[in-house]
Amino acid sequence: MSEAAQYFQFVLAPQMLIGLVLGVAVILVALGLTIIFGLLDVINMSHGEFYALGAFVALALSTIGLPFWLLLLLVPLIMLPVGYIVERGLIQRVFHSGDRHVRTLLLTFGLGLVMEDAFRLVFGPNPHRPETPIAGGVEALGIFLPSYRLFLIIVGTAIIAAVAFVVYRTRLGAMVRAAAFDRDMAASLGVPVQHVYAGAFAFGVALAGLAGVLLAPIYSVFPTMGRDFILMAFTVVIVGGMGSITGVVVAGLLLTQIQAIVSLYISPVWSDPIVFGIMVVMLMVRPQGLFGRLGHG
Amino acid sequence: MVDALTRSMRASHVLVAILVSVSLVIAAVGVAFDDTFYLRLATEALIFAGLALSVDILLGYTGLLSLGQALYFGLGAYLSALVLMVVPSFWAAIGATALASALAGLIGGFIVNRVRGVYFALITFGMAQVAAKIVYNTRALGASDGLIGVPVIDINLGIVTVSSASPAGFFLLVLAMIVILYAFAAYLLDTPFGRLLIALRANEARIPFLGYRTMTPRLAAYVLAAMIAGLSGALYPMLRGFVSPELMFFETSGNAVITVVTGGAGILVGALYGSALLTLLKSVIGSYTVHHLIVIGVLFMGAVIFLPKGMMGSIRPAIERMLARREPK
Repeated sequence: MSEAAQYFQFVLAPQMLIGLVLGVAVILVALGLTIIFGLLDVINMSHGEFYALGAFVALALSTIGLPFWLLLLLVPLIMLPVGYIVERGLIQRVFHSGDRHVRTLLLTFGLGLVMEDAFRLVFGPNPHRPETPIAGGVEALGIFLPSYRLFLIIVGTAIIAAVAFVVYRTRLGAMVRAAAFDRDMAASLGVPVQHVYAGAFAFGVALAGLAGVLLAPIYSVFPTMGRDFILMAFTVVIVGGMGSITGVVVAGLLLTQIQAIVSLYISPVWSDPIVFGIMVVMLMVRPQGLFGRLGHG
Repeated sequence: MVDALTRSMRASHVLVAILVSVSLVIAAVGVAFDDTFYLRLATEALIFAGLALSVDILLGYTGLLSLGQALYFGLGAYLSALVLMVVPSFWAAIGATALASALAGLIGGFIVNRVRGVYFALITFGMAQVAAKIVYNTRALGASDGLIGVPVIDINLGIVTVSSASPAGFFLLVLAMIVILYAFAAYLLDTPFGRLLIALRANEARIPFLGYRTMTPRLAAYVLAAMIAGLSGALYPMLRGFVSPELMFFETSGNAVITVVTGGAGILVGALYGSALLTLLKSVIGSYTVHHLIVIGVLFMGAVIFLPKGMMGSIRPAIERMLARREPK
């Protein structure tokens, strides 16, 4: 075997696979963030805490004996009403003020603080590590990958495809895009804009919760788990274009691959500054991101 | 003749005067009881009030939310610590910080002022994050441990010499410094430059038609905010004897934003009262439970929803009316 092929098989490919797992995970979290921004024009600073909430709810429910597979379905269903109530009860209160961006950002920032401290109060500050639902690993083309990570890539891809299908190919998605494009016009055509807004927020939050359940066996569950993860998700949303689903997928894969490959050549601690540096440069030269907004083009 | 803006600024001065009087009483009581802990805590509150003041210049006057003001605060703290470790001189540390934060603010200002609104918040956040990670990973700056062993210094003020180890003396010095920063900012914002900023916040597209540039005042406001944050940060190692990368993290920037919004944005004095209130809350609640963030978070959310003008922003109009009555007709 040539040296280049060996390098690929033993160094580059495993690293890219690790990057891919992280990429799918980040995209799941970033999807909710971008939908909420695209539709409501709200930067949800508490999104990382909703991701953590999903993981903690799953943790609590698994202690009473519910199996992982059921939780995968149950947790997003629990998160939906939570998100709906937060949107109707909190965000709508400042939604119609002149300074919507700043005030909703501040409000969700406060909510995130409260949630994070509440997790610490209820579950303690130490990390919990749920058992991996699928043990073992698979080997393909000489590359070893733990089964659960393979499962995560497949399920994650399916969820991303399903979200894209709902938004771009169903009547519900058309209503969402119409409300994002022109709120008043959509309302006068009979779209229940209020419910679409609250529903989209709930949906985004439920996606974050689902990501929390899926990722808990890999990254552990702890009160500040959302904080580290959300920075990457924000970067992905900004680079991809705020409100763009395609953008999130492309930027999510791109950035995590850059991070994974860069870590091979320089110390991994520098990969974070590089990724955030890309975000800053992107905001400077093309603040709208790679792709346009939801409902626009 | 006094217009509404000057009068509202004077109302802020009245509130600052009240705060200074209370601070002097605290200092006197602290000296009487030979206290160290509470005076140090109050000094820290004042230092973080300086950081909040810089956030307010951006949020309250240009309408731009900075989520990365800790970048300049941390820069000031680290630079001051480094200077003090080589030359134990207050004025050398302050001078170096003023220059460096102005320069950094100028460079940062060119980067962040390319965008508006929510993108501004995110780009400041991203920039501070890059800087914090770099400091966190740089061995020469102590990496995750920070810099320890900043010496106690004697600050020569011409007439008297104050030691940074003296609780009451250093408290008064920091008080004076923050009041000077406040007065400087308040003076600038009451000049035509300040009015231009307010006009920019109201309607940026119209400003060029009135014959003004939009970039210059924005940049000037950003540099001013960076300098105030940097100079406040420079005081931190003198108080604590160390600096840590946490000073540059998002928590620090976020706390400053909470301080300003709770105290009241766009009135400068809100930052000072907000910092006093939050420090008080943290130490009072902190003596009962470690979960003070829940209380502060709920309070902050309440302020965002019910009190958009903040604590002092709701009180100030009363003082304005009082001042208006006393003016000669």
